[in-house]
Amino acid sequence: MGNPSGISVKDIALIGMMIATIEVVKDVLAFLPNVELVTLLIVLYTLFFGKRILFAIPAFVFLQGLLHGFGLWWIMYLYVWPLLALLTFLFRRQTSLWFWSAFCGLFGLFFGALCSLPYIILSGPAAALAWWVAGIPFDIVHGISNAVLCFVLFRPLHFALNKLKNAWF
Amino acid sequence: MKKQSGKKGLIAVLILVVLIAVFAVVYSVMSPSSSQGSKSLTIEVIDNEGVTTTYSVQTDAEYLRQVMDETEGLTYEGTESEYGMYVETVNGVTADYNTDGAYWAFYVDGEYCNFGIDSQPVNDGEVYTIEYTVYY
Repeated sequence: MGNPSGISVKDIALIGMMIATIEVVKDVLAFLPNVELVTLLIVLYTLFFGKRILFAIPAFVFLQGLLHGFGLWWIMYLYVWPLLALLTFLFRRQTSLWFWSAFCGLFGLFFGALCSLPYIILSGPAAALAWWVAGIPFDIVHGISNAVLCFVLFRPLHFALNKLKNAWF
Repeated sequence: MKKQSGKKGLIAVLILVVLIAVFAVVYSVMSPSSSQGSKSLTIEVIDNEGVTTTYSVQTDAEYLRQVMDETEGLTYEGTESEYGMYVETVNGVTADYNTDGAYWAFYVDGEYCNFGIDSQPVNDGEVYTIEYTVYY
């Protein structure tokens, strides 16, 4: 590496690829409410590429704002996705497919609760609670679909990323 | 190590399943559902001069808007939006937020309504207050 930032040219290319893939899966699946692959990709990228995800997530969130407008949901994205990367990093030694499927499922299930936090400040706890409860069916769909998608895709993607990492780094 | 990790995975899946069930219960208990059948409701309108008009309503309606439609003597107008109707005029009194910061505030049993009139569920015995309010 040998540069003060610790980021190499390879890293920059890799971060660009991470942003592009997260962005594409986000918008391609946008027509299915709360079925998404962003969670799985962020989990895998954190497991494989560690701190580099910290550059990809802000860029992804900023791009989402540019594409869809900087609404309240955008504020939620600012902390929800970095939190996912942080939690993944904390559990990075886990190797069980069941664990990661449940992890992605739980993140989907709590997505609404995490997103209701700004409403506590804006409209008070009662409104935040009402907002969260009204969205629970979507959170359940989000949780189940996250768990199933992870269960199906974690291994193939893990295999592909492993190959990529061995070839590159 | 591997066995340990597999066990943790199963525990995590179990936690997910249990939490999904808990969330479903929370939703069924706390969601804006409403009961069917005959309901007795009270609607109080407090106008811009502080005069209160009280209406007693017997209804099978599920949402506040239908109740307001059924209440004899109560008239209202407003603007339709994607969130339902925004009520601007009640009993001929218009609250114009853009001119003097006035709006019609909706309360159920003294608490601010969390939903618009199109999605506010009504239950037997509730008291709705529609109050002309000026935001300072």
